[in-house]
Amino acid sequence: MHHPPNPLREGLEQERVPEPSCLIIFGASGDLTQRKLIPALYSLAHDGLLPPGQTIVGIARTEMDDEQFRTAMREACDKHARTKPVDDEVWENFARGLFYLSGEFTERPPYSRLKERLEEIDRTRGTGGRRIYYLAIPPEFFGQVAQCLGAEGMVTDPDRGGPYTRVIVEKPFGHDLASAHDLNRIAVSTFRERQVFRIDHYLGKETVQNLLVLRFANGIFEPFWNRQYIDHVQLTVAESIGVEKRGSYFDGAGITRDIIQNHMLQLVSLVAMEPPVAFEADAVRDEKVKVLRALRPIDEAVRGQYAAGSVLGEHAAAYRAEEKVDPQSNTETYAALKMFIDNWRWADVPFYVRAGKRLPKRVTDISIHFRPAPYPLFSRLGMKMHANVLAIRIQPDEGISLKFDSKLPGPTVRTAPVTMEFRYATSFGAEPPEAYERLLLETMLGDATLFARRDEIETAWAWLDPLLKRWKDDPEPPPSYPAGEWGPEAADELLEKDGRKWRRP
Amino acid sequence: MAQAVNGDDVHVDVGTIEKQLAELWRAEKGEQDDAAVTRAALWNVVAHSWTSEQQAHATEILALASASVPQRTIVVRSDPRGDAGISSWISANCHLIGGGRQVCSEEVSIVAAGDRVHHVAPLVKALLLPDMPVAVWWLGDLPDDHHRYAETLLDPADRLIVDSSHFNSPSDLELVSRIAERTTTAPADLNWARLEEWRGATATLFDAPAMRERLRGIRAVRVTLGGKGFGATAGAMLYASWIAAQTGSAAKLDVVREEEGSGIRGIELHFDDASTATIRREREGGAVVASSDVTETRLDCIARPLAHSTEDLIVRLLKRPEADRVYLRALKGARAAS
Repeated sequence: MHHPPNPLREGLEQERVPEPSCLIIFGASGDLTQRKLIPALYSLAHDGLLPPGQTIVGIARTEMDDEQFRTAMREACDKHARTKPVDDEVWENFARGLFYLSGEFTERPPYSRLKERLEEIDRTRGTGGRRIYYLAIPPEFFGQVAQCLGAEGMVTDPDRGGPYTRVIVEKPFGHDLASAHDLNRIAVSTFRERQVFRIDHYLGKETVQNLLVLRFANGIFEPFWNRQYIDHVQLTVAESIGVEKRGSYFDGAGITRDIIQNHMLQLVSLVAMEPPVAFEADAVRDEKVKVLRALRPIDEAVRGQYAAGSVLGEHAAAYRAEEKVDPQSNTETYAALKMFIDNWRWADVPFYVRAGKRLPKRVTDISIHFRPAPYPLFSRLGMKMHANVLAIRIQPDEGISLKFDSKLPGPTVRTAPVTMEFRYATSFGAEPPEAYERLLLETMLGDATLFARRDEIETAWAWLDPLLKRWKDDPEPPPSYPAGEWGPEAADELLEKDGRKWRRP
Repeated sequence: MAQAVNGDDVHVDVGTIEKQLAELWRAEKGEQDDAAVTRAALWNVVAHSWTSEQQAHATEILALASASVPQRTIVVRSDPRGDAGISSWISANCHLIGGGRQVCSEEVSIVAAGDRVHHVAPLVKALLLPDMPVAVWWLGDLPDDHHRYAETLLDPADRLIVDSSHFNSPSDLELVSRIAERTTTAPADLNWARLEEWRGATATLFDAPAMRERLRGIRAVRVTLGGKGFGATAGAMLYASWIAAQTGSAAKLDVVREEEGSGIRGIELHFDDASTATIRREREGGAVVASSDVTETRLDCIARPLAHSTEDLIVRLLKRPEADRVYLRALKGARAAS
């Protein structure tokens, strides 16, 4: 049921506050719940963005009662909450809405207990039957959980009115097109597509959202945002860490599935999309998926795997020596692709994307490289002209810079590149909210703009599948690169043969 | 707020302020690694004061505020009765932002006396950074809006910052309201910013759909407050007229004064059906809690405590790029009720 907005919220910093609901986290004893979800929910409560009565029910195999769960979550907030130290008063009120149920979530019995508990919570905390199921569990369990929820009558049909039911799904959204298709089929057998919120935490980042503001709230960029003025685009997602404790998962996935299929293609979509007709979920996602549909089949791609080396002054072991990694593994820890978007705006403009582990530093960066001036007036005086570059730093040190040539002071005409810089930290001071805070709040508010839609996921897989198959069938191991370097030499050659080079982010 | 690393004031000739500022930055860059110091500004903030105490207060507050809202600060002290003269100083307000880097804002101080006070407004206009909005923070007695001096100083202002808790009479509210109606300068009130946590807690009470329907049934607003004089009640008036303007109810304001303390201590909302809701602060400086006996399910609504220092209030007002329409509505109502 839709209620008119609260008029007393107008003009407040917390202008939008959702109706109280019950957020049920499957896999509540896991790392994601403790490091991200509960701290994010506490920070929302701290900022006054959660309604009174908002309730969180954790469900997992670990035996625990409500009090033990609250104690564990308090410790998690003490460590990981953005707003520290934890405010006792806010915590006490928040903790009154924390409950826990232990049980095997792949079997039916716990669901009837859960249902009873939720109905009781509706009566005591005013959550009105509104449910958000957060599946912080491996995707192989999605089907069983969805089936149990459906069988117990714990999912309401949005077309029949009444309180809403939503489900949040964590990546990976499949392993390839077929498995993604299966997962989506399972999801929509119980839920309608508009009830499914697929989290890609990159979309919750302030700087990623600022991409839309940069492009569509400013009059100066859009006229140049096309093949007439842009020579090429580069995207880098670099991590200095290795696979850490994720060796088992990563070795079966690789960097292309882990980063490029989701985060990087989301970034490419946002950089390349046409202006949406409205800042609304389907309007934005319609334009994003059009970009994915226009991707030309991949012709040029480079993969790599890190060997032993040194990162940030520390010795780094080779990938094959990492814990829970096959010592003969051919999984790629680095990938670089040359992409083309075959549409009117981007015809023949290459998008070079690269992602890797054990690179020199952690950085996510998008750079727009403009075409040179049409007539090289100053080159005739023996000066090197530099291309203008608009760089958008997603993390860390979020900001935007523009590089252009300027005359060096003096009697002769000599030029040098200079940059104009905008840094979030410098201009706005305050720490931006964590991506999960924004995404959890948007789910409660029912706004799916920052979530991936089924067709986005499947189109991305359909585009990547042939490359992944090619690499899988290739008996040759991926070229190695020393940990702490910017990937294998072949990645540099990918650009050099086009007369370009990677920007050092 | 980041640690302020204030440089010493440098006395400069009035005619060369801009040149001297450029010199200051060149010297700063020369001493530091190129990436270590960043000069930034989102606002021009002009603080107007009548006394040296007010000037020192404004200087201190804006130096702190510039850590969160980088700005070109111009602090003016006018003394129309003093011996004619005009002097200026410049300095940099630098704040550490981590990684050994500093973000710096610049500050200009101008002291004018006698007939030289009429040179202040043109000088300030010449010193404003282009393309950045202008806020004028008026300390002490409000300007008479017919006064030429005040008019010219406010002429380029997008924002006029006042503190209604210092107002002497209803005519001050009327003056601010007139500025809102007749000029392009949008008033902002530090006292309204102090009300934010009270408004937030009140709003939370009505987030529940069942409570939303009761908004129009608010019959009376009882505000318990400390302090004397008109300024002490200004916040209560703004709160009550905010309720009325946003809900369409004809809520009557009832003020209960306490001898001790200052500011709002608690609020009661009385409904048509004799039920009540209370909004109170749990402990000094702590969260504001709202509760009601209206619904069967009693849940405390807790609004996070907001910082009350003047620099925090200034920062909150400057972080709002556009005029606060809700405040302007409340101001209009408060003016009519005063």
